[in-house]
Amino acid sequence: MPTAGDASVYVYGVVSAADRSDVSVGGVESADVRTVEHAGLAALVSPLHADELAAAREVRAHWRVLEEASRGATVLPVRFGTVMESEDAVRGQLLEPNAQEFTELLRELAGRVQLNVKGDYDEQRLLREVVQASRPIAELRDRVNQLSEAAGYYDRIRMGELVAAEVTQRRANDEALALSRLEPVAVAARAEPAASQSGAFNLAFLVEKDELDAFSEAVGALRAELGERITLRYVGPLPPYSFVETDLGAGAPAWA
Amino acid sequence: MAAARTTGGYLERPRPSGLADVIDVILDKGLVIDAYVRVSLIGIEILTIDARIVIASVDTYLRFAEAVNRIDLKDSDDSQGLPDLLEGMTSGGAESKTKGALEGIKGALGGGDDDDDDDGKEKQKSGSRGRSSSSSGSSSRSGSSSRSRSRKSS
Repeated sequence: MPTAGDASVYVYGVVSAADRSDVSVGGVESADVRTVEHAGLAALVSPLHADELAAAREVRAHWRVLEEASRGATVLPVRFGTVMESEDAVRGQLLEPNAQEFTELLRELAGRVQLNVKGDYDEQRLLREVVQASRPIAELRDRVNQLSEAAGYYDRIRMGELVAAEVTQRRANDEALALSRLEPVAVAARAEPAASQSGAFNLAFLVEKDELDAFSEAVGALRAELGERITLRYVGPLPPYSFVETDLGAGAPAWA
Repeated sequence: MAAARTTGGYLERPRPSGLADVIDVILDKGLVIDAYVRVSLIGIEILTIDARIVIASVDTYLRFAEAVNRIDLKDSDDSQGLPDLLEGMTSGGAESKTKGALEGIKGALGGGDDDDDDDGKEKQKSGSRGRSSSSSGSSSRSGSSSRSRSRKSS
């Protein structure tokens, strides 16, 4: 833990030193964001005094620093909450040992942005379709409706199990459908687990900035194809958070 | 530049992100620096689903407060007393609402006030449109099944 007056260093991300521009929004603890440079790379950092952060506020600061920085440059975002001992440590232990990998990643990600496409089911409609499409579920439903709560206990569990399996299957189908429509227009794609019970899919795409219109067009076509069955949320452009997942050393996150 | 038209005939565009849309990405993605090298990875306490919803809500409140503060109430009305009164009520209301939200999370998260006063994210205001399911952005992070492409690690 840093002693008073002895700041540790909060790390936001890494950019190419040639691309870096001053970040005007305040960083964590409202501190000015500066850079630590090595071998053509620049880490965006700010001094940090407290050993405990006001999380809600600082997530926002982290996000906005990266957002501003990524307007004029390709940024490798570092995960929220990363603190190093000193600027020397940032140079010697982050930039130096990873210089080649960062440089390659920056080259690979140059001119590309992340776009997220999430789909959400209309839950009532989804369940209606599931019941209509499955004879066993429809039959169980009829039976359960005629039984008391206690008597229908196991039938209800069985029915719920069948519905859950059906929903899982539909998620997989719809995720595959969305990927098949959007992946051809993207450089890369990542599928994350659907976030909520009514979530259909949760996809992140890496897209060439020059291809943004084509990608948007594909999203529009997908939206039309899905109709009211699935509502799309199309968010971005973002720094390529989901496409920098290289583990630097043995650094698995503590909560993984 | 080719127009991105959908079959519906309107221009499809990604909307600028609100924190609710990206909080999972910010907290769960990005370069992970070796535990041996970093001093700490703070903020682990905020990773619960509830805390994520609170953080996203605070962002929404703050952006409403910013938007309300930017409104020039005098523009639409020339009379003397009423606009002033309205202005006082509006900004006071927004402020106390935001304060309330922030007080609420202080205990839980060790949070503080936000001195958010720059105008750098004007465009994000449009993000508040149609975010009916903002809370569903908070998710289980159980094993992200990133497929398609796995990057070599160093």
